[in-house]
Amino acid sequence: MRVRQNLIELFSTFLELDASKVIGWATDASLRRHMMNLVSKLPQPEQSEDFWVFYWYKLWSNAPESLGKAHLSAYLQEVCYWAARKTVSGITSSQYTLSDCFQMAVIRVDKVLKGYKPDMGFSLKNYGSAVFNSELKEMLRQQNEIDICTNWRLLKKLTQKRLVESLQNAGQSADAIGRYVLAWKCYQELYAPQQPSGTRRLQKPDSETWLQITQLYNQLRLTQLPTPGTELNPETLEKWLSSCAKAVRAYLYPNMTSLNAPRGEDNGGELQDILPQLTQQSYISEIIASEEQRDRQSQQAQIGDVLVKAIKELDEEAQKIIQLYYAKQLTQQQIAKELGVKQYTVSRRLTKVRDTLLVKLATWSQESMHISLNPSVLNYINTVLEEWLQAHYNPNSL
Amino acid sequence: MTSNSSLTLNNPTHLWLEIPEVELERSWQQQPFSTPNRSWVAYLNRLTLTAFLPWLSEEHGANAKPYPKGAALPSIWEFVNGTAISFGNTKMVLIPTEALDIDEFRVPQEWIDIPNWVADYYVAVQVNVEEGCIRIWGYTTHAQLKNQATYDAFDKAYCLDSEELISNLSILWLSRQLCPDVITRAEVAPIQELPLLQAQNLIQRLGNPNVIMPRTQIPFTTWGALLQHGGWRQRLYEQRQGQQQWSVSEWLQNGVSDFAQRFGWATIDTQAFAGARGSNVAETLPTIARRLTINSQQCELRVLPQSNINSRIWRFELRALPGELLATGVKLRLLTEDLQPFEGNEVEVRSSRESIYLEVALGEAPEGLVWVIEPTPDNFELEILYF
Repeated sequence: MRVRQNLIELFSTFLELDASKVIGWATDASLRRHMMNLVSKLPQPEQSEDFWVFYWYKLWSNAPESLGKAHLSAYLQEVCYWAARKTVSGITSSQYTLSDCFQMAVIRVDKVLKGYKPDMGFSLKNYGSAVFNSELKEMLRQQNEIDICTNWRLLKKLTQKRLVESLQNAGQSADAIGRYVLAWKCYQELYAPQQPSGTRRLQKPDSETWLQITQLYNQLRLTQLPTPGTELNPETLEKWLSSCAKAVRAYLYPNMTSLNAPRGEDNGGELQDILPQLTQQSYISEIIASEEQRDRQSQQAQIGDVLVKAIKELDEEAQKIIQLYYAKQLTQQQIAKELGVKQYTVSRRLTKVRDTLLVKLATWSQESMHISLNPSVLNYINTVLEEWLQAHYNPNSL
Repeated sequence: MTSNSSLTLNNPTHLWLEIPEVELERSWQQQPFSTPNRSWVAYLNRLTLTAFLPWLSEEHGANAKPYPKGAALPSIWEFVNGTAISFGNTKMVLIPTEALDIDEFRVPQEWIDIPNWVADYYVAVQVNVEEGCIRIWGYTTHAQLKNQATYDAFDKAYCLDSEELISNLSILWLSRQLCPDVITRAEVAPIQELPLLQAQNLIQRLGNPNVIMPRTQIPFTTWGALLQHGGWRQRLYEQRQGQQQWSVSEWLQNGVSDFAQRFGWATIDTQAFAGARGSNVAETLPTIARRLTINSQQCELRVLPQSNINSRIWRFELRALPGELLATGVKLRLLTEDLQPFEGNEVEVRSSRESIYLEVALGEAPEGLVWVIEPTPDNFELEILYF
């Protein structure tokens, strides 16, 4: 992969991939013009990428509909690429290509931006990498499972939220979704595996159960739906539930072609969907004036120092275990073999090491960065810490 | 059991626990439920307990127990998903689901708004029966659910997006050390007790197993009032299984029912017991008894008719184990089924002694009585004895 050369590219180009490799970078013309326009207005050239990350992030958080997201999405391309590559090389099935994984991950940019806490001192890339990696793992786990269970089992393994999103994705109207969800709830309430094994092959309910589900639906529709619709028969109900399962499966395999493509030459809305120039200018001078951004860079370096020191202070055994896990990337099972202990013990010790590092880093953040600790802050630190460890022991992957 | 490829897909910030293989069979269908789905819900909850409790005890030295006690759990799972456990001063509700996506966390309203069901922490558990494991993918607090969750009126549930949860369970303990001021519980309004007649009517109506989702059939405060009374909840549960098993007179004739045995009740042979300490006529009567732990002292609660099995005068006796004495201040109190006191319903240990007792004369009509002891025995749950 060619490394992007300059700031303009960094915030306006997108990766092009075929199934297994990078083809090149494609420029989004409007993002490029947008960048150039802003650069030219700066009182003095600003070469630091952190400056621009912070700038676009700030713009995005004040105006989520602005181009900020697109610029940051461009910026996060490599991180996403490395997450996809790592995941693909880690799974045995060849069902998913590098490009599949990349596309699945890149749609989570929103989640990265929503969860990112710039004040905490970690870089956006660090956090983005953490989110892309865990989201990818999550999606692949789900697909593995969905691929091997019947529709009837799948319907028992859903949240309502996922069902609603799947139906929306399938283009269903709000009214129709309400009816489908109610039918699904009735199914949930009256049907379940009747033995503890072989459940992945769960077959459709028998006719008596269909009748019960239908009765429950017909009774509840009168009180629970804004427009109760017609009375159902078991055949229709079965059809509806099959459609639900189909929508859920389709939702997990997003339409890959449209997601990451540059938005093409002028789409007319180049500068209309962003904040007025004045505001943009004031952000820039604000960022330059404040020491915030320079602080941020030094914070990132300091966090690294704190963690390196904390790792050195771990006892020998703990050091060995994180070496094996993060540097050699052995599985817990392999580590257990190597050390002659149970896998359970490895898992416990790893947890302990992570907890120790988390406490040290959190305490340092509190003392040096005056961050007030609460569970959600600790959770954030913990998420990025995991990523930091991965990157620290495998410097080439980021 | 877990395949290699899915292992590498494990999110390291979540807690993954194996379900012991033998439990997959053993936890299956231990009690009756009204629908296959309620049996399945109970199964998921049991599996969660068997995987989670040993971990909790090993990692955090917490001797956690289900709350209320294990025997009362079916009467919860028949209606509501989730299992509460308590350790030290902390209460935690485990909410298992099978959803593959971990997009949202739904907590049934009962766990949030019934005052004696409220817990500090609510834990999201994904159960994978096929792979034989559970995954703890996040937790939140009562306060957060109460303040930030959206309420789904149809499901009567509080819902949070997964992003709002703390994904690493370790943080629950670390945060107690690093930020001890975090408030876990929000205020909840007390739920007014139901009058007896209303409760009886509701138990009759909702006790029909063809009423699916009884929790959605009546306003929440009414439903909550019915459920917070352990005795009524148990009765409603049994009614839906076509059983009614809390008649003491019947126990004395035909043996203690299965359900009541799980709660610790048994008929005892007082003759042999009394014989060891000199004879006493009253103690040769048919008697039922159960063990209790009050302030870590074991005691026995006995119930027996005053003269013969047809007598309408019943004696409730709290007795220390042989060679021990009841502590001063221990109180035994009887209440009507709807928790109303009546004259002469209380007895207190004034000075240490072997036992205290109360006698109640009942009318001809069948009647339910609730016993209460102070200090509250371990794992106490209201129960109704019918005479």
